[in-house]
Amino acid sequence: MGTLTIQVRSGTMMNMDPNVAIKLTEAAMERGHKVNIFCYGEGVTFVKAGQNPKRFLNVGEKIEKLASLGVETVACETCCQARGIQRGEEVKGSKIGSITNDFSRFVSESDRLITLSR
Amino acid sequence: MIGTLRGDRSGAILFEDAVLFSVYDERRKELLDILDDVFVIDDDLEARGFKGRAGEGTQVIDYLRAVDLVMEEYDQTITL
Repeated sequence: MGTLTIQVRSGTMMNMDPNVAIKLTEAAMERGHKVNIFCYGEGVTFVKAGQNPKRFLNVGEKIEKLASLGVETVACETCCQARGIQRGEEVKGSKIGSITNDFSRFVSESDRLITLSR
Repeated sequence: MIGTLRGDRSGAILFEDAVLFSVYDERRKELLDILDDVFVIDDDLEARGFKGRAGEGTQVIDYLRAVDLVMEEYDQTITL
């Protein structure tokens, strides 16, 4: 089995990229692959705790559940700072990290990289 | 850009609004002329009211099949 990294650059409420990211992650896990998610730009909203959308997918809840199943989700620290998301505000099981340490590791460990962006 | 790809086998998976390429004949033919395979996510067709409307030559797939294509059947991926 392989390792898939999904880089997300769209915010949780911007478009359908979050749905695609979650569905791809769940399908890859069902096939037995390891999945990493790196959140960049508006994508860092994936890891913000306390999301409460009324009619849309609750990405935060999904990230927390996927983390419990082994999915590693990391958000770019600089992007978080720019949006006022502080350490300690991230969804349980996710992490605020960096491109240098985390995304580079994801890429080096992955067989495939998919970027979801607009 | 897709037309510049070189490999033993080139394909595209159409996600989200890109599924419309499979519905409109002119766009679909453009893709089929330069790719070996064109795959279309069924959920995304249905979400836009085009379930069953993907044109001839395209292959309608689910997310599990998409993962198999990305992870097992093609050597490299790019995202546009």
